[in-house]
Amino acid sequence: MIKITDIHKAFGKNEVLKGIDVEVAKGEVIVIIGPSGSGKTTLLRCINFLEKADSGKMTLGSTQVAFKHATSKEILAIRRQTAMVFQSYNLFNNKTALENVMEGLVTARKVPLRQAAEIGKNMLDKVGLADKHNAYPSRLSGGQQQRVGIARALALNPEVILFDEPTSALDPTLVSEVLAVMKKIAQEGITMIVVTHEMSFAYDIANRILFMDGGVIVEQGTPKDLFVNAKEERTKQFLKRIVPEWSYNI
Amino acid sequence: MWGEAMEGFFNISLVVEALPQLLTRLHITLFLVVAATILGIVAGIIIALLRIYRIPGFNQISLLYISFMRGTPIIVQMFIVYYGLPAILSSVGININRWDKMIFLILTYGLNMAAFLAEIIRAAIVSVPIGQTEAAYAVGMTRLQTFWRIIAPQAVLMGLPSIGINIVGLLQDSSIAFLLGIVDVMGKARAIGANTYHSLEAYVGAAVIFLVITLLLEKVCATIERRLTMKIIGD
Repeated sequence: MIKITDIHKAFGKNEVLKGIDVEVAKGEVIVIIGPSGSGKTTLLRCINFLEKADSGKMTLGSTQVAFKHATSKEILAIRRQTAMVFQSYNLFNNKTALENVMEGLVTARKVPLRQAAEIGKNMLDKVGLADKHNAYPSRLSGGQQQRVGIARALALNPEVILFDEPTSALDPTLVSEVLAVMKKIAQEGITMIVVTHEMSFAYDIANRILFMDGGVIVEQGTPKDLFVNAKEERTKQFLKRIVPEWSYNI
Repeated sequence: MWGEAMEGFFNISLVVEALPQLLTRLHITLFLVVAATILGIVAGIIIALLRIYRIPGFNQISLLYISFMRGTPIIVQMFIVYYGLPAILSSVGININRWDKMIFLILTYGLNMAAFLAEIIRAAIVSVPIGQTEAAYAVGMTRLQTFWRIIAPQAVLMGLPSIGINIVGLLQDSSIAFLLGIVDVMGKARAIGANTYHSLEAYVGAAVIFLVITLLLEKVCATIERRLTMKIIGD
């Protein structure tokens, strides 16, 4: 499904990704955790070429690319098989909720308007915003905007949806509505790669958790493997700091 | 005796008399403003995009150009274009002596506008949050699609108030165009003043016309801004 081999990325002198291999199977939900600066967001953004990696290869579905030498055509092909949900929602301010969801279909995938509207409405209903089709982002709460963002990603029916800290900018009271939607689509078998700090959520929906630190994957495993029986010291230190209740052996 | 002295200084009925004569030349003033604005917007967009994409070479040239246009009096620019352009072109064998003076004026005012508008347009485009572009790319849109469908509408809304102000400024700047000899509203005012020895009333009449047009322009701009805001961000 997605296979990334030996990806490297440096910002000037600062090496942020130091040779990472990741493999994600269809329908898998991968959660990436780790301290700030560990490269988790950079890894995600390299997948859809919002950052250009320095070296490495990726296979996405049936498309193969080399990160450094990818042509614009290849980049477009990759982007048209992925979708991203952003930390700051990034809804198109000059479009309504429905138009936001339809935009990628109509513009990038040449789907006829009527069909796109149909899909758009279904997706907005799915995330619980059936009554907000014609609302502009400026009229929606953060949680609602993020749900539109998720609907926008779902509508594209991508190989994988990339979530970049989807709840980090949200009011704590609005976090749960977004996590509920994410849990729902995870259970429907959508392939997801999620970068998050929401540990109990990670434990709840992940098939596999990757712990990144200093540009490498330190350890990975099922939620139980990691949270309860972490092997690496760095992993244990990180989890102890942010999930105190998981450091007890059960 | 008082009445006579006052009448000698300022006679409002002469202003009223001058107005219809001045209005016959209004279309010249308006034509100059509209044509220069169109040229200014087109050239302004090109310069703004050249600067945003940092095309090597063009960036330096356009900075120089903008500095010059914004830093020198427009009357100087006018004469440089009027006397300089034919001289330069004749040295390469192109004769433009037959060109209408209006062309020189539209060029001068248009290029001047472009310098101011380039900065406004560039700032407006750059002020659209980068997240908008990233979301568009992530959804699979090309650069061009992103610009036309997402960035440009939002940038237009940002830049409209400033552009409106610059058009009003252009209208005022056009008041010295008559120095090249065209007969617009100001040119007619000078002619009336020369004929009747009542220059003050003629220019006051011209001022009234300029004032009314400015007010109308501001009204139109405000309406356009309101409509676009409704349409573009539904507020």
